[in-house]
Amino acid sequence: MGPQHPMTHGLWNLRVRIEGEVIKDVEPEMGFLHRGIEKISEDRHYNEIITLMDRTCYVAGLNWEHLFIVAAEQALHIEPPERAEYIRVLSAELQRIASHLMWYAAFCQDLGLTTPFLYGMRDRDLILDLFQSYTGARLTYEYMRVGGVRNDLPLGFTDRCRKVVDWLMDRFVEYDRLCLSSTIFNERCNGLGVLLAPEAVAYGVTGPMLRSAGSHRDIRKDRPYSVYNKLQFEVATANTADVTGRYLVRMEEMRQAVKISRQCLDWLDDNPGPVMASQLPRWLGAPYAPVGNEAYLLKRNYPTGLGFSMMEEPHGEAGAYIVNDGGEHPYRVKFRSPVLINIWAAKRYLPGYRVADIPPIMGSVDVCVGECDR
Amino acid sequence: MKTSELAASLTAKFGGRILGVDEFPGLLGRVRFDPAIATELFRTFRDDLGFVHLSMVGATDWVDHREVFYALWSDTDRVYVMLSTNLPPDAPTVASAVPIWPSANAHEREAWDLVGVRFEGHPDLRRIFMPEGYAYHPLLRSFKIHEPEDLEVKVRSD
Amino acid sequence: MSGQTPVPPKAVGPPAAGGAIGDMPLEVIGQPGVPFVEIETLRAREFIPAAKEALSSLLKEQAEEKLIRPVFNWAGRNSLFPLHWGLACCAIEFAAAFGARWDAERFGVVPRSSPRQCDLLIVNGTVTWKVAHKLIALFEQMPEPKWAIAMGNCATGGGPFRTAYSVVPGVDKLIPVDIYIAGCPPRPENMLDGILQLERLIKERGE
Repeated sequence: MGPQHPMTHGLWNLRVRIEGEVIKDVEPEMGFLHRGIEKISEDRHYNEIITLMDRTCYVAGLNWEHLFIVAAEQALHIEPPERAEYIRVLSAELQRIASHLMWYAAFCQDLGLTTPFLYGMRDRDLILDLFQSYTGARLTYEYMRVGGVRNDLPLGFTDRCRKVVDWLMDRFVEYDRLCLSSTIFNERCNGLGVLLAPEAVAYGVTGPMLRSAGSHRDIRKDRPYSVYNKLQFEVATANTADVTGRYLVRMEEMRQAVKISRQCLDWLDDNPGPVMASQLPRWLGAPYAPVGNEAYLLKRNYPTGLGFSMMEEPHGEAGAYIVNDGGEHPYRVKFRSPVLINIWAAKRYLPGYRVADIPPIMGSVDVCVGECDR
Repeated sequence: MKTSELAASLTAKFGGRILGVDEFPGLLGRVRFDPAIATELFRTFRDDLGFVHLSMVGATDWVDHREVFYALWSDTDRVYVMLSTNLPPDAPTVASAVPIWPSANAHEREAWDLVGVRFEGHPDLRRIFMPEGYAYHPLLRSFKIHEPEDLEVKVRSD
Repeated sequence: MSGQTPVPPKAVGPPAAGGAIGDMPLEVIGQPGVPFVEIETLRAREFIPAAKEALSSLLKEQAEEKLIRPVFNWAGRNSLFPLHWGLACCAIEFAAAFGARWDAERFGVVPRSSPRQCDLLIVNGTVTWKVAHKLIALFEQMPEPKWAIAMGNCATGGGPFRTAYSVVPGVDKLIPVDIYIAGCPPRPENMLDGILQLERLIKERGE
C-alpha cells in the first residue's frame, strides 16, 4: 500500500503479505520524506533550526519547537523567563488539540465518515487562527527562540482563547456522540489493532497507543518539563488496547489540554513580564551566521553542553539530544520520533486482521511522516 | 536512586569496563561503557534496574571515533539514563539491543543508514531512510552537503 | 457531487509532442492519430466522431477549432481532478483547502485516489530522490491532458531543505510544471488562487 494511497496520510509504504483477506505479515517502508534534517541542522544557527522543527512534524509544529528549544537551552545553559514557559505550554497544549483534531478528521474520513472531517477541520481552523494572531502563521510558526519566545501575546488574546476553548469543549461532546453512537465506527474499530501493554512497552510504543492499553505513562506527569509540574491535569488512559481505546484516549487528552490551557491563560493574565531571557550571548541574537572571515572570530569560546529533552507529543514520546561543542552550530542533533517506532510495531498489531482493517488501525497510530523520516 | 549509587552498583558488577558514570542534569546519569560488555549491561539495566523502555538509540560521528548512545526509561523510578559507548572508526560494531528491547530495531537501522555503525545480532540490518544501494552514510563528518548541481529543467514544448 | 465526470480528451490529433511525456508508447494506447482515450471515456469516443460529423457538415473544418475544442477546454479546466496525494506540510494546507472554510470543491476540484482518473498533480511538499521515480510513474500514469502544480517552496526549488542530500531541488527537475505556488506553506487561499491561475492558463493554451 504504497506512497500514494489515501490511507497513508503521507509518504510511507506498507508491504502487506496476505492470504486471502487475512494479513500475515507487514513491513513498513519509510524514508520517502527523509530530508536530512539532522544533517542540515549541523550547519545552522540554533534559531534557524527552529524553522526546520515546524516542518519536521507539521501537524504538531509548536510541540516540536518546544522539544528542540528545551534541549537547546539545556545545551547552551540558558534559562527562559517564566512567562515564556507558560506561553510555550499554552502553545503546546493548543497544538495538541489541533493535532488531535487533524487526526480525528483524517481518521474518520478513512472510516468513511465525512462529517467529522469537516467538523475537525473547521475547529482546527479556529485554533490556527489563534496561532496566527500571535505567531503570525498557520502551520509553520517559527515562534519559539532560544531563551524565550519571539513576541508576547497580543491584547485580548486570552479572552479570545477562552472563547475558542469553551466552544471546543462543547464540540467534543458532539464528536463523541457522532462517532461512538455510529454503528460503522463501532464495528470497524472495536477490538481492532490490539496491542497489549507489556508488548507495547517492549516494542517502544508510546503515547496514546500505549495509554490505550492501560499504561499511565505520560511524560508530562512522570518527568515534568517546563511548567507542567505546576499544572493540574489527569492522564488519559483506556483499558481496551484497540482502536476505540486510542480514540477515547485522544478525546480525553483534548479535554485535558483544554483544562491545562485554561490554567495557563489564568496565569498569563495575572503575570505580565518579559518573554525573552535577558542574558543571551551576542551571537545568539544574530539572525544569520556570518560567512567569510568573521566566522572564525565568533568561534569556540562558548561553554559546551549536552541537551536532552523528552516530551509528550500528540503522537507519543519524542526526544531531542543536542551536542553543543562550543560553536554557534550544534555538533549533533538527534531526534527520537514516536511515529517511527509506533509504525514499526505494526508487525505486532496488524497480522491477523483483514486488509480492510488496515485504514482504521494505521489511522489510529496517527502517522505524521515528516517526523518519522525527518 | 542517585548517580553515585548507580555508579557503585555498576562498577561492582562490571569493574573497569564501565569507563565512567557522569552527572547529567535531569537524567540519572550518563554511563560510558566498553562495547564488549554491551549485552550484559543491557540485560542488567532491563532486568535488575527496571529500565524497561528503550527510548532512543543514536550514533554520532566524532571523527576519531563513533559514539553510540542509548536513552532508557524506567517506569518505576521515572527517570531516564543515558548509555554511551565509543567505537573505533575502522570497525564500528557493537552488539545489537534488539534481543533485549525489540524497539531498537528501527533505531539501529537508522544508525546504520546514517552513521554507518553495524549492530551484530540485528535481525535485518539494512537501510531505512536512504534508498537501497546508496553508497554513503550521510551523517558522517566526511560527507559534506553542498548546493545541488545544476539539473536540467523539464519544459513542456507546446 | 457531480461524480464520475470523465476526463475529456483532446478533440483530434496526437498527444503533445516533445518533452518527457511525449515519449509514451503510442502503440500501446491506440493508433497514431486516434485520440488518447481511457475506458471511462467510451461515451466520448462515440460522441466525438458523431459530433464532428454533424457539425462539420454545418461548419466544415472550423467545427473542431471553434466549437469542440473550446467546449472540452472549458469542461476540463473547470473540473480539474487532482491526485489525492500529500507529501509534507503543504499537504496539510491542501487538506485544509478541502474543508468547509476554503471549500475547494466549489471550483470543481475533487481529489481522486487513482492517477488514471486525474488530470492534475499537485506536488505539495518536499520531493526526495527515493520518491522521485514513483512521482514520475504517477505522473505518467495520468492520462492526457494533464497539468502539474508545484505547491510550496519545496516543490518549487527545494525549499528550506534545498541543501539536503536526499532532496530533489524542485520538482520541475522531474516533471514539467505549469504553475508554481510560493509559500511555506502557502495558505489555502494561495493554493486556490494557483488553481484558478491554472484554469486561466489552460484557457489561454486552448488545450
